[in-house]
Amino acid sequence: MTLSPKAMHRRRFLTLGASLGFGALSAPHVARADEPVLNITGWGGKWGDIMSSDIGPAFEKEFNCKLRTDTALPFLPKLQASSRSAPIYDVLHTNSNEQWAAAEMGLVEPKVDPKLVPNLADVYPYAVSDKIVGVSIFTSAIGLGMRTDKGFAGITSWKELWEAKYNGVRGGYVIPVNSLGQAFVMMCGTLFGKGQTDLDAAYAALEKLKPIKLVDFTGAMEKLFLSGEVCLGVIHDSGIYRYDGQNQPIDFVTPGEGVLSLEQVLAITPGSKVKELANAYVNYMLRPEVQKRLAETVWYSPANRNVKLDAKYDARLLTTPEKVAKLIQVDWKWYNAQKDEIDSRVNRIFRA
Amino acid sequence: MPPFAPQTPSQEFSGALPAATSLRDRQRASAQSRRPAAGKRIRAGRALYLTVNIAVLIFLLAPIAIVVVFALNPTPFIQFPPVGVSLRWFQKFFAARDFMHALVFSLEVAMLTTACATLLGGCAALAIARGNLPGARIVLAVMLSPLMLPAILTGLALFQAYVLLDVGRPLWGLVAGHTLVTIPYVVRTTLAVLHNFDLRLEEAARNLGASPGRTFFEVTLPLVKPGVLAGAIFAFIVSFDQFPVSLFLVSPGNETLPITLFNYLKFDLDGTIGAASVVSILLAFLVVLALDRTVGLRAYVKL
Amino acid sequence: MAVARTNGLALLLLPSALLFALFFFVPIGLMAVMSLLTGNPVVAANVAFTARHYLRIVNDPYYLEVIWTTIRIGLWTTLISLLIGYPLAHWMARIRSRAGHAALLMAVLAPMLTGVVVRTFAWMALLSDKGVINQILASLGLTTKPVQLMYNETGIVVGLVHIYVPFMVLTLTGVIGRIDERLEQAAESLGASPLRSFLEVTLPLSLPGILAGSLLVFALSISAYVTPILLGGFQIMTLPILIYQQISANFNIGFAAALGMVLLLVSLLLIVAYNRVLGLVSGQHELQ
Repeated sequence: MTLSPKAMHRRRFLTLGASLGFGALSAPHVARADEPVLNITGWGGKWGDIMSSDIGPAFEKEFNCKLRTDTALPFLPKLQASSRSAPIYDVLHTNSNEQWAAAEMGLVEPKVDPKLVPNLADVYPYAVSDKIVGVSIFTSAIGLGMRTDKGFAGITSWKELWEAKYNGVRGGYVIPVNSLGQAFVMMCGTLFGKGQTDLDAAYAALEKLKPIKLVDFTGAMEKLFLSGEVCLGVIHDSGIYRYDGQNQPIDFVTPGEGVLSLEQVLAITPGSKVKELANAYVNYMLRPEVQKRLAETVWYSPANRNVKLDAKYDARLLTTPEKVAKLIQVDWKWYNAQKDEIDSRVNRIFRA
Repeated sequence: MPPFAPQTPSQEFSGALPAATSLRDRQRASAQSRRPAAGKRIRAGRALYLTVNIAVLIFLLAPIAIVVVFALNPTPFIQFPPVGVSLRWFQKFFAARDFMHALVFSLEVAMLTTACATLLGGCAALAIARGNLPGARIVLAVMLSPLMLPAILTGLALFQAYVLLDVGRPLWGLVAGHTLVTIPYVVRTTLAVLHNFDLRLEEAARNLGASPGRTFFEVTLPLVKPGVLAGAIFAFIVSFDQFPVSLFLVSPGNETLPITLFNYLKFDLDGTIGAASVVSILLAFLVVLALDRTVGLRAYVKL
Repeated sequence: MAVARTNGLALLLLPSALLFALFFFVPIGLMAVMSLLTGNPVVAANVAFTARHYLRIVNDPYYLEVIWTTIRIGLWTTLISLLIGYPLAHWMARIRSRAGHAALLMAVLAPMLTGVVVRTFAWMALLSDKGVINQILASLGLTTKPVQLMYNETGIVVGLVHIYVPFMVLTLTGVIGRIDERLEQAAESLGASPLRSFLEVTLPLSLPGILAGSLLVFALSISAYVTPILLGGFQIMTLPILIYQQISANFNIGFAAALGMVLLLVSLLLIVAYNRVLGLVSGQHELQ
């Protein structure tokens, strides 16, 4: 590593020079013809670690292919910019709201074919409901996270988030860019108005939620909980449970009004050149052993009903029809249609 | 309306100035001591000058100290005061193939970018300053415009263009994007030096019989070197730390360090970030030192 | 100044011109066109020309407010960077000891090498409610409640100044270092006070550097993304944040492109104006 980089730079530099000259017209990257490549998206963190160390290589071996995973967000704008006939991804993995936007733009196929993905027969109804594009392979419950060491206890309702004692230690999301924040808007409509779509009630409720600390990503919220800057805030169960065993004074609360579902959704792009492989990948991700492995790594609730998790995971995750029934799914199609209007309202509401 | 009251720095600033000149004036201190009031004022001014500068240095370095503390503190989140010292984040960083790969890739991209931007930008600056180009002002404005446009749009626009040409997301595409946003630095710094440049030196060389080529290589080039070099350093650093342009142009498996760090941050905000920064600071320092050794960094401040 | 003919050195512009044509004008032109279209012509059918993205900006005072916030943050950042950067640049340019110079240079470069993402997090660690500064203030008994140091424009400007001051310092140092110290000495031996010799000799001669550094810092700070979003706590909206939101969460490239065009236009106008003013003040019209 001490000698080669120099030589490599020189070579790369020459290549670069050549590419600058001719590259605009020719395609310098030549895919190896023998191995098909499946382009997918994926998360980083623990999910990414186990995908690249175990689950991905096992798939490559079994299906004799190469898995190329893009973990650099944002995925959808890149897919949007790529040509429909040669999309840069074959399988898009992202949250449900983005999948709906992708489906609206014709970037992904709205449904997965059960004939090509046999494991679809074993999933809970929510995973293929009319609120889902493609298939949800995992879900998390969006509820409230709390610090257990600050004298706040016995929380049972979403509405307690509005209590004055949480001023200064209340946490939420940047609604225009975060799925949890968007789902929370719908919850506000349910809590204080006529239902999910009662936006006026939701705006009024959000206005009363100030002061509130806002973050754009759940990872940042987890840190606010760990450091004690937030003592009560919106978060998904996996964001709290993943610190299990680390002796952190945080806990997840399932409010009586129910929890919102945060789905991990897979959908296939219509222009994919390796459809068979794409379907095989979706099917693979729904296999009980793959689901169990991932679920126990990142604390996501598996979509496959036949997955048997170890007791400690089983106790907390949504693994029975009764527990799954508590999930409230958001009508993302409706939400996306109002997104511009909601964004401009909430941007004004949370303006400093 | 203004969120700040900048009087403090400006007062200190104006007070600091007399001292600036007194610094290099020690020989004449005796002459000034004949006017004790002025001498006292100058000493006070000099103290103020140093105070201001040290305050600025503290401002610049405090966050770095925080990063180091963060890298050594074993808790998995920002915590003050730190609870201990551990090297676990460094271990984690060096054990992670993704990070190491990103680090090497970032250095590679930054070096390629520096070479391209320095060459192209230096040439362009000379052409603008010396070529008697019609519309040189407009040319300059154009050369600087990649700085004005939010880099995220440049990145997206380039990505869209590459997709249209169906070239994928190759290394040269990323380097071209980086070169585009680093050229303005080289042009700026080179021009700044060229504008302070005494044209009579070139004239003198030519009057003494030097050919235009010889004048260029033996007079012009050495004199603009400091500006070009400063530009090269900027280009390296900006490319090494480039985020928005890379965002759309990196390909899976070939991600630059800032992108890898940002994606990592979204899932794990632990000391690995601090460790990665400490390592990248050290590495980048090595590069700057190497530049110093080979080209003589000091030269661009003192000739 | 005598008008000379274009000479051979002008040809040196060609490689850059090529790069800009292929990798800048074509893509940006594409974006400019997309800011006037209803959709992406490459991937969608039935795309028509429309001015709706621009009308949306003009018709909603919110967007004008965002534009003004962006400019205001840029101006403050530039001003403060200049005020604190100039003394340091002067010191760096005039320090005699080689080791001292190297140390100063490293101190200026170190923050630049830390990376914008990490540095912003470091500032959050310093400025947040449970941050270093508030903890120290509380432990000294000076405050009972956390002082709000971030989640406002002040926090953003502090972070941005930290990130862009090195650019200012390095730009200025190069120029100040080129000023012949003998000019200042001559002024002083003619009886000028050090302050006066600075104001009448050093300052005017360093004007190109001031101009270059200020433009650089202004342009960078109005297109910053990571720092405003993290230190503003998402409660201050600037154009780059809005653009990124439109691209990454609303997938409205047309509107994002239109906002980008507005930002480009605004900054070009300000830069031309700034150039003119400084050019007039210094009487050096040919500066830039």
